Amino acid sequence: MKFILTTIFLILSINVSHAHQPDRRIVSIGGALTETIYALGLGYRLVGSDTTSYFPPSAASLPKTGYQRALSVEGVLSLKPDLIIATEDAGPPSVMKQISSTGVQINRLKSAKSMKDTRENIFALGKILNVNASAKTLVGKFDAALEQLKATTSVQTKKPKILFIMSHGSSTPMAAGSETSANSIIEIAGGINVANAYTGYKPLSPEAVVKFSPEFILITSRTLKQIGGNEALFKLPGLALTPAAKSGNVIDMDGLLLLGFGPRSAAAALELNKRLNADD
Amino acid sequence: MLMIRTVKWRRFSLLRQREQNPFVILVCLSLILSLIVLIATSIGAISISLRDILFFDLSEFDQTILLSIRLPRVLLAVVVGAALGISGAAMQGLFRNPLADPGLIGITGGAALAVSCMIVVIGPAYGFLGLYSLGIAAFVGGMITSLVILRMSRLTGVFSVTHMLLAGIAINALTFAGTGFLTFISDDQQLRALTFWTMGSLGGAMWEPVLVCLSIILPSMWFLTKKARELNVLLLGEENAAYIGVDTHKLKRSIILTSALCVGAAVAVSGIIGFIGLVIPHLIRLLFGADHKLLIPASALLGAALLLFADTIARTIVAPSEMPVGVLTSLVGGPFFLWLLIKQNSNGN
Amino acid sequence: MLKADNLNFSIHGKTILDRVSLEVKSGEIFAILGPNGAGKSTLMKCLSGYEKPTDGDVFLMGKTSPSYSLTDLASKRAVLTQSVSINFPFTTLEVAAMGRGQISGFGQKERDFEIAREAMRLTEVSHLEKRLISTLSGGEQQRVHMARILAQLWDQQDCVLFLDEPTSALDLKHQFMLFDICRTLVSQKNYAVVVILHDLQLAKRMTDKALLLDTGRTFAAGPSADVINVDTISALYDINRSQVML
Repeated sequence: MKFILTTIFLILSINVSHAHQPDRRIVSIGGALTETIYALGLGYRLVGSDTTSYFPPSAASLPKTGYQRALSVEGVLSLKPDLIIATEDAGPPSVMKQISSTGVQINRLKSAKSMKDTRENIFALGKILNVNASAKTLVGKFDAALEQLKATTSVQTKKPKILFIMSHGSSTPMAAGSETSANSIIEIAGGINVANAYTGYKPLSPEAVVKFSPEFILITSRTLKQIGGNEALFKLPGLALTPAAKSGNVIDMDGLLLLGFGPRSAAAALELNKRLNADD
Repeated sequence: MLMIRTVKWRRFSLLRQREQNPFVILVCLSLILSLIVLIATSIGAISISLRDILFFDLSEFDQTILLSIRLPRVLLAVVVGAALGISGAAMQGLFRNPLADPGLIGITGGAALAVSCMIVVIGPAYGFLGLYSLGIAAFVGGMITSLVILRMSRLTGVFSVTHMLLAGIAINALTFAGTGFLTFISDDQQLRALTFWTMGSLGGAMWEPVLVCLSIILPSMWFLTKKARELNVLLLGEENAAYIGVDTHKLKRSIILTSALCVGAAVAVSGIIGFIGLVIPHLIRLLFGADHKLLIPASALLGAALLLFADTIARTIVAPSEMPVGVLTSLVGGPFFLWLLIKQNSNGN
Repeated sequence: MLKADNLNFSIHGKTILDRVSLEVKSGEIFAILGPNGAGKSTLMKCLSGYEKPTDGDVFLMGKTSPSYSLTDLASKRAVLTQSVSINFPFTTLEVAAMGRGQISGFGQKERDFEIAREAMRLTEVSHLEKRLISTLSGGEQQRVHMARILAQLWDQQDCVLFLDEPTSALDLKHQFMLFDICRTLVSQKNYAVVVILHDLQLAKRMTDKALLLDTGRTFAAGPSADVINVDTISALYDINRSQVML
């Protein structure tokens, strides 16, 4: 009897919870968060996202609210969202305040910079979107990939020296120092960030590059394209004299995959590790 | 820079031949501005029809959008545009240089330095201050710079416009160095925040800043209009102005401070929006002549109209996202200005 | 009407004026002559109240200049400076009307434009009324500015006009026109005119008294017809007597 009652209650409560949340319209601000929402199987609820959300491909075709730090109140509201999932970077603050003053629910999550953040964000999203079970499964897969990575790195004796380069347009390229997501992923993947004595992104001094003597240049695919491919990259001052140039070791990966700390980040670290050790 | 005297101004012969009634010109400009206000209020990412607005036949949601989001933004564009227009006009008159603008003597540079300090050194503020910290910093920064420049120009004993301009240029360079250094030590996040602030935006307009701005800019406009004839006479040079009975020292001080107040208020709520302060007064001079009595209010009206027009395009053309308004002001105003220059030259021949 | 007692003026330790005294009575046209750098313009600035002399006093109508407010001073004397450049598109009429600035409390009135037009008729620039000042020739601009300072003292009696090289860009006809205007004002409205000139012939013929300055000191002073002679001029300008043309 008790069993039947419980079952009925459960069924009811599921129905009730569904009744409470008839397909909520979600706007997601932040590439990793959008990716996670898709990974949790709720991509169909998204009605808009920011310009950093371009994976999976269907996310790229969502209506865009502009860059996450320069949102427009009316733009976001014109998508008629019931729920806005945003990173703590989303702004400007006055815009966020105005949006919330119209009564739309906003959930701010951390901008993930480590595997721990990613895991927390997946759980948090699972809770907000009422899909705890899927979140658990997703984190399970994520952890499995991390375990596999740990197993691989623990037997690798050599730690490759890596320099991550970022460039906006024609300005001086910048190197990623410590406290950057590039630094985190390099360390997780079992490499050493040669520029970790600096904090944040710093302009690249040619002499320092030579001194760092990186064995690998890590770069986002977009930056590499902007610079004009491997050859143009090694024409940048100082880079030609590095071991990386001699062996032609450039690793380019998608920016969101590599630095986004979304649900694919464990897989990204694995891939990076694989490519670092491809020669051996 | 000081000696740029190359631009020979000619007004349209067409407009010159008719007697111009300043009152008629101002009424026309006001009508144009009102028209743009109406259009700007009725379009946006969320469509609300003009008919519904005029009869106030709106759903609660539309009301919220209109009253607490769109209207403050429209008004902010008007107020900021007017502030930039009049301060540009006043500065050009004061420095007797058609290429002067508030950026030249470091007021915007000072504001930018204060904002970078806020972002990079002090870090994010929360609560009420979180919303307004950058604005307050910009305003304070702008005012401090203008006071320093005033002080510097008096160091030599002679309070001369040339000293003021030179001091301004030096201070400007210093603030840029400061901002550059802070940019260098900033992390990625701070850098982006800084970049977006420098680009200027009217997004996130709320009633409080609109009202604060209005309470600074309306009295400034009244004051500058009152000083219009004295500004005219100042264009004869300080010595000649003194002979006609103008207290040039007092005039210069009050004009600098009033312009700094206007620019400070504008920069505080919208970041750095270029083009308007420099070009709007030019446009007015090309069309209607250089008399400050007309120039100051007309620059306010046309500045407001141009910024509102540009901002309306900025927030609708790529909806639901937005373009930086500074790009649009230049894009809308630039070709028009060039057309005027070309037309003026062909008229002159 | 205008009196200076032992004027000294020095700047950065350099003496520009050294014990210069003079007196200009109403009804007189008074010339200040001398080589370049003699201190003529500085003397005029001290006399017109723009610069404060380091030592000595200037009396205008019996009162020292600092005791006048800028506005009072503006209704007692007007100054035509050597060159005025205006970078903005003002019409000629607007520039001439600027002279009325302080008198009408900086509110432009129709009467001010009437006065400006009258003054422009006097200096023969009426036909240029609607032209922009920057499109005028140097001589035309000079006449417009002359109209401006005439407008400034319009309707006033007993005033002092200070003219710094007013004829430098004028053709012969307009040089005579200028001195005709001065003579009329001096005789009919009790003006005094103080004028810096380089043209010695003109000075000798057109002015009543002259002060010859040499490196800040009075070289000679007296009635123009007497003072401006071959001896003083050749000595003052350091040239041969045969080169002096008077």
